[in-house]
Amino acid sequence: MPSSSRKLWALALPALLLTACSGAEAGDSPTASTGTPVSGGSLTFAVNTDGSCLDPHQSPADVDGLFSRPILDSLVSLSADGTIHPWLATEWSVSADQLTYSFTLRDGVTFSNGEKFDAAAVKANLDHIVAPATKSQLAAGTIATYAGTTVADPTHVQVTFKTPNSAFLPSLASAYLGIEAPSTLTKPPADLCTHIVGTGPFTSTGGYSKGKGIDYARNDAYNWAPGTAKHTGAAYLSQLSIKVVPEDASRYGALTSGQIDAIASVPPVNVAQLKNTPGFTVQAAAAPGGNYNYYPNTAKGVFADANVRKAFREGIDWQTIVSKLYFGQFQPAKGPLSPATVGYDKTIEAAYAYNADEANKLLDAAGWTGRDGEGYRTKNGARLTVRHPFLKAYAREQRDTLADQIQAAAKQIGIFVDNTNPDINAYLADVGAGNYDLADFSWQRSSPDALRTLFGAENAPKGGFGTNLSFTSDPAIDKDFTDALATTDLTKQAELYGDAQHRITDAVAVFPVYVFNYLLGSSTKVRDVQFEPQAFPTFYDAWKRP
Amino acid sequence: MRRVASAVLVLWGAVTVTFLALHLIPGSIVDAIIGQSRVTPEIRAQIIQDYSLDKPLWQQYLGYLGRLLHGDLGHSYNQGVAVSTALEQQAGSTFALLLGGVAFALVGSVVVAVATANRPRWIRGPAATAEVVSVAVPSFWLGILLLTVFSFRLHWFPAIGANGFNGLVLPSIALGLAPAAMLSQVLRQGLERVLEEPFIITARARGLRSAAVLLRHALRHAVLPVVTLTGWLVGAFVSGAVVIESVFSRQGLGHLTVGAISQRDFPLVAAIVLISALVYVVVNLAVDALYPLLDPRLRKAPEVVR
Amino acid sequence: MRSRPGVVLSFVFLFVLALAAIWPHLFSATDPNAADIQSTLSPPSGQHWFGTDQNGRDIYARVVTGVRLSLLIGVTASALALIAGSAIGVLAAQGGRVLNTVVNRLLDIFLSIPGLLLVLLVIAVLGPGVRNSIIGLALVTTPGYARVVRGEVIRIRGAAYLEAAKALGWSRPQIVLRHLVPNALGPVLVLATIGIGAAISIGSSLSFLGLGPQAPTAEWGAMLSSSRDYFTVAWWPAIFPGLAITATVLAITVAGQFLQLRVEGRSQA
Repeated sequence: MPSSSRKLWALALPALLLTACSGAEAGDSPTASTGTPVSGGSLTFAVNTDGSCLDPHQSPADVDGLFSRPILDSLVSLSADGTIHPWLATEWSVSADQLTYSFTLRDGVTFSNGEKFDAAAVKANLDHIVAPATKSQLAAGTIATYAGTTVADPTHVQVTFKTPNSAFLPSLASAYLGIEAPSTLTKPPADLCTHIVGTGPFTSTGGYSKGKGIDYARNDAYNWAPGTAKHTGAAYLSQLSIKVVPEDASRYGALTSGQIDAIASVPPVNVAQLKNTPGFTVQAAAAPGGNYNYYPNTAKGVFADANVRKAFREGIDWQTIVSKLYFGQFQPAKGPLSPATVGYDKTIEAAYAYNADEANKLLDAAGWTGRDGEGYRTKNGARLTVRHPFLKAYAREQRDTLADQIQAAAKQIGIFVDNTNPDINAYLADVGAGNYDLADFSWQRSSPDALRTLFGAENAPKGGFGTNLSFTSDPAIDKDFTDALATTDLTKQAELYGDAQHRITDAVAVFPVYVFNYLLGSSTKVRDVQFEPQAFPTFYDAWKRP
Repeated sequence: MRRVASAVLVLWGAVTVTFLALHLIPGSIVDAIIGQSRVTPEIRAQIIQDYSLDKPLWQQYLGYLGRLLHGDLGHSYNQGVAVSTALEQQAGSTFALLLGGVAFALVGSVVVAVATANRPRWIRGPAATAEVVSVAVPSFWLGILLLTVFSFRLHWFPAIGANGFNGLVLPSIALGLAPAAMLSQVLRQGLERVLEEPFIITARARGLRSAAVLLRHALRHAVLPVVTLTGWLVGAFVSGAVVIESVFSRQGLGHLTVGAISQRDFPLVAAIVLISALVYVVVNLAVDALYPLLDPRLRKAPEVVR
Repeated sequence: MRSRPGVVLSFVFLFVLALAAIWPHLFSATDPNAADIQSTLSPPSGQHWFGTDQNGRDIYARVVTGVRLSLLIGVTASALALIAGSAIGVLAAQGGRVLNTVVNRLLDIFLSIPGLLLVLLVIAVLGPGVRNSIIGLALVTTPGYARVVRGEVIRIRGAAYLEAAKALGWSRPQIVLRHLVPNALGPVLVLATIGIGAAISIGSSLSFLGLGPQAPTAEWGAMLSSSRDYFTVAWWPAIFPGLAITATVLAITVAGQFLQLRVEGRSQA
């Protein structure tokens, strides 16, 4: 049974689009294992965004997954080709009704605080994730129909669900469902936001500090590497440090001046330059999931009219803007999902072509025929205004520049995009209440189930946190999602997700912008930094050429 | 003693200003205190109790004063730590930057002033022009230029804030240049005035060489007018640090302040305002205390009376 | 003035700035917010004198458009501070000893908080934006004016011609309006001139920190802030707005110092 479930998942995810390039030393990429790994040394890595909470059970942020990964192991691991491999669980099986997962746990694993890892620890973690006090913003959602965990004996545990959840094992492999020391889980959630304890290859006694980052030391006792890793035993690096450096030029400058070893998010404007600099290399990994997209509010306001939405989609040359603005380093998105996601349906791409004439016709037909002094379209004297609450302070990857570009392009077809810059509280209140016409965010997830998060009717904001910001509410789409979760037949799944993508496209519920490319720049001394399927770098196998 | 009393008065006033500011923020005071963080109803209740928000205004005010007197600066709900902890973590880095900036300004201004005082027009002129320009250059722009040239292009200095000496060089220059230019203007004028005084001419007549005269006698007198600039200097350095930390991606109180404002973390902003008022007051007291030591006329005054 | 080309140059430059603030179209017909994705970050050329920014917008047009906002911030903040400061100063000088002491202490308190931090406190209370920046800047500079006005009023009060006026039977308000205010105004206007420069400088720092006017408004500090992401490949977006701030503040300073010499010369004579 375990082997069959593994085989199943071997097909479930596409190979992560991983490319490595180096102008100066061709083929001398960090993923290529040239030379024998050297133990010892320290590596400093800089990221562009700050975290919010180190505990991945609470936080949904990508960067928090990155921060917690070196400390936390998972029950299973997911490889780039989508295979599920053993980690803290050595074997697993799924019941015929898809409701019960049975795990056999590895013996002799200890947390870095001396606690023993066992079945009770697994139960404590899953219960902690769904506990209301944890206020999980992501992890709990991935196991929404969790019914409970039964401890059979110290090395055997069963997890049961109320309805089938075929995305459980890949979710379990992510850092968000990472296993923390049970004794720490009783602490207040705020404490876990700075300090967590796990069984992982690194430990952090100082913990995470806001605005600074986090320092790790090697866990010398580590002897339970995931099946996906390139080696076993303790990590090579004796020290690892992740710093938060939001300023692009500073982060880039710190890398090229040799101050740090590697950086996340090489500014696209600098990629070509860095590739041509001897001693440096850039690795790119396209992220799967929901791209960076703009979402229209289809429930009310100007975008309640499908023709206006369609005009906005066709009247703006999104693809040229993205190609130019990101110097070809980010691929323009041509659908609700990233092409790096399994179940991506290529046949919808044609619908996202630029056609300004058609857009103008649609707007005329929709009654926006007047023009005001500034050249914007009007109807009954009211300007065609699209209200876009945009959090400039949180904008990364030149999204503010992009917003300016979209604004300028929309003006060409007579639409005024009002990029308001509210503070975060006003933003959350507005988004929760649906007081916006346009919203933007990215959603990196390794499974096509991301579609359900983004377009499932149950995920629309209801006063609070919601991810279906287009307020898509189509029973046919929802049925595709529930049916897909209930089947493990991959062809069937692909059909269902393909159907959903077509329906979403027909409904004009999304304006795809760009596919996020994890551009990792590093010195060529840095070797074997790996990527998780969700396009996060991992450092267990990494080493530094002296 | 009177000076200490008036310093205490100023500090009390600054505390009152922050108290009033908190009450001027539109919306509920609890929301103003928690900023962008989300807290449980229990914590809200705790805040109401801590700040005596259910009591009359004067009791709130007394409570606020009382807590500050006990060294309790409040809690930053955004940072999830006590304000004092957040400040402690960041103070060292800012202190190093201020020290670097002050050192650069002092050394630079003395060197320039001594080298150019009473010199021919072709030396004085360009120096004076450079000083006026240096005061006009915005420190953040200077920082960007220094960073681009010396760090990104030439790689002589680190690009992101390190606390080592190398990491301090560029920020210190960016921070200290405008004050240095201001100081050297004042110092040179002072020097030139002093050099015409009779006691200098006497010293020269006794055969002291002019460099020795300049350094040993004239400079001490020329420093006196600088004291009147103390307030301006403290303001320039503290304000400058806020901007410079942002330019150089340095950790520190300035970085913390800017973050606190965008996250609407009022307890932190108020505490930083109070700390800088404290610095201002302490520096002024120290300068007042040092003044008689610098000015021999004041020191020798009793002898004259006798 | 013939011997001081710098002063002449400064006044000419300020005149040009004033023109640009009132009629920006005299200097640039290009829309400062017109993005052109096809020509982003193109270097200075005949078509784009200062090059284009990351959005393909013409930097020259943006620098010219930014004049109005910078001068608006500087002049309005200084004018507000001048009015408030003068009122407080006259009040303190003409009021009794108690009032004088109280005002003095209040000014001490505001002077003890470094300029930028006081502005930041105002922004923390009122939120970011142009209007609130102006209020903050005015609040910061008011004590300076109040101090100078108070000093001037007390100095002039002892002057002989006031005794003469009193002897002639002028009323107190008459004396204040006819003699005190006009005589105290000289030094205060000098201070205001230099204050405009300081306000422009601090105002651009605020925009640089992202607390001033919001995108896509062409503001010098904000332009410099966004140029940071690109200056490893393009120097021009980081140079011209900085030059504009420096030149403006410099011209105001030089003009202010010249006026100061004139005023001091007059009062000595």
